[in-house]
Amino acid sequence: MTTVGLLGAGGIAGAHIAGWLQLGVDVVVHSLRGAPELVARHGGRLATSLDDLLASCDVVDVCTPTYTHRAMVEAAAAAGCDVVCEKPLALTVEDTEAMIRACEEAGVTLYPAHVVRFFPEYTALHDAVAGGTLGTVAVQRYDRQGGLPVSPWFHDEKLSGGIVMDLMLHDIDFARWNGGPVASLRAVRSAPDPSGTVAAQVVLTHASGSVSSIGGIWSARPVDFRTRFEVAGTGGVLRHDSATNPATWTNGGAAAGADGYAPKVAALGESPYLTELREFLAALRGGPQPRVSAADGLEAVRLAEAAQRSLALDTVVTLEEAR
Amino acid sequence: MKVALMSFAHTHALGYARLLAAMPDVELLTSDPDSATRPAGESGGAALAAELGVDYVATYDELLAWGPDAVVVCSENTRHRTHVEAAAAAGAAVLCEKPLATSVADATAMVAACEAAGVPLMVAFPVRFSPAFADLRDQYQAGTLGRVHAITGTNNGQVPAARAWFTDPTLAGGGAMTDHTVHLVDMVDTLLGGVPAVRVHATANKLLHPDSAVETAGIVTVTYADGTNLTIDCSWSRPASHSIWGGLTLSVVSDAGLIDVDPFAARVSGWSQIEANELSLGYGPNLDETLLATFLDAVRTGSTPQPDGHVGIRTTAIVEAAYRSWHEGRTVEVALAGRPASAVV
Repeated sequence: MTTVGLLGAGGIAGAHIAGWLQLGVDVVVHSLRGAPELVARHGGRLATSLDDLLASCDVVDVCTPTYTHRAMVEAAAAAGCDVVCEKPLALTVEDTEAMIRACEEAGVTLYPAHVVRFFPEYTALHDAVAGGTLGTVAVQRYDRQGGLPVSPWFHDEKLSGGIVMDLMLHDIDFARWNGGPVASLRAVRSAPDPSGTVAAQVVLTHASGSVSSIGGIWSARPVDFRTRFEVAGTGGVLRHDSATNPATWTNGGAAAGADGYAPKVAALGESPYLTELREFLAALRGGPQPRVSAADGLEAVRLAEAAQRSLALDTVVTLEEAR
Repeated sequence: MKVALMSFAHTHALGYARLLAAMPDVELLTSDPDSATRPAGESGGAALAAELGVDYVATYDELLAWGPDAVVVCSENTRHRTHVEAAAAAGAAVLCEKPLATSVADATAMVAACEAAGVPLMVAFPVRFSPAFADLRDQYQAGTLGRVHAITGTNNGQVPAARAWFTDPTLAGGGAMTDHTVHLVDMVDTLLGGVPAVRVHATANKLLHPDSAVETAGIVTVTYADGTNLTIDCSWSRPASHSIWGGLTLSVVSDAGLIDVDPFAARVSGWSQIEANELSLGYGPNLDETLLATFLDAVRTGSTPQPDGHVGIRTTAIVEAAYRSWHEGRTVEVALAGRPASAVV
């Protein structure tokens, strides 16, 4: 039986442990905080220490804060474990390349948990693009809006990378998946506000000439989590808005923003986190390559890092410069 | 009141002609001499006037000699300056189809010509008259929304097919960035109360229509002097076979919430068995009618209608900067003639 060692017990760990347990694997958890509560809520068992966890598992699932990813992945690789790592893989290209190198040298596999690629509406869009339904893609638009992250480390750019690296990396990765390599980009962001509200926009010009506009919002005002996209090509246009396509809508339900930081997945039929982990597990057991690779994770970090540079310098950044 | 309509080149002329012809206190006279230069099969001239049931003369000289109180200019974009200057010289108030001009130099000259002639100049930006948008602006200016952190907008449509000049750079000045950036920058101009734009970035392509001589898709980002960023998708990305031409949306990140305004959402929708197509019954005020009424009221009362020629200069400056940014692959400063951006911050 496969044993998965889950590192971290925050929000994303809850989604992952539920997925792993549904896949019937043995789960052992270690975290500086919250591990007993996580196991009590979902199941699995507790490791006594990081070393205990690394010694007893086949796969390590890194769900710790971003700034710890490199150390956790390198420890997992050194212990000979395959690795699933929450996005972003790391805060910098340098760290991400070091993680990939450590895994290669240890002969273990590294998968980045870019879960948006597994959300069914995004999968439907990508399949249509890949299958030629939209012809040549010319314009992609993505929006992702939610409440402020709860854990304080998200608000420290040095620890989380801020909204571009943490939130918008999803759509940056997805736009690159559909639109191909990026030639240049430019990013803008709202001025710092005491409330914590931040809105940013990243505009990609792909090597194909197609363009992508990616918006991200962390709102201090309580809001429901919402995503939308529109992609236009020579063959037509596809769009989706989670606010106007809800499978369930409750008028007078819970106050907006009560859990407005993350998408609600219960009404999707299967949690995209489960879909994602099943695909990773099958690949680790010799099945087909999953739809996202460590190289994709590296390119997403490279683009987000370039966007941070564009913000800092208020310039267009070409990806030849960033490489 | 005597109102002259110069040119049927812009397809909005047809709607204006119908609305003006229906106004009881308006005498309408039209002229469309350049129709002879249009490709075969495009409507225009005396035949179109007859179809619309409006009076027609063969030349602009005759049209202006008629002594109109007001002139509506609906010619090709790069001909706006000549026609606006002629109308001003004839002493008529001017409503010019958007964009006012295709260069800041032309727009500035047009404003100067109208000021010298003592006639008002208004630019046809009807979407700012949408009740949904007006309500947003009123709320923001009353302080109800708190701070605006960011704005995004979409103005997508089909590639203009009824008139070839829209995709002819010598007549249109450009493609989707020329056609579909200005409505949203006009709306943000009035929303923010005239805060000047200082920097622009743009990227564009013609992947949807590779044979086009102009760009057919683009993303334009405008940074205003107060730090607000506006990102616009100006693409002609609506499939040509679509049942609805396109639309415009404006999204605002505010302290009071994340607000989406869709002026064209006021419609009853369904499906027609007979047409085998979507049914879409728009309701609410006709924005072109509100635009014309605002213009004609100003002519009657001698006041300055908004959006005026200075809004036209500011919107033209943003589009001009967008092309410079796209061609140079960098973020550029917005140059306002005689008024550097830094001086008005």
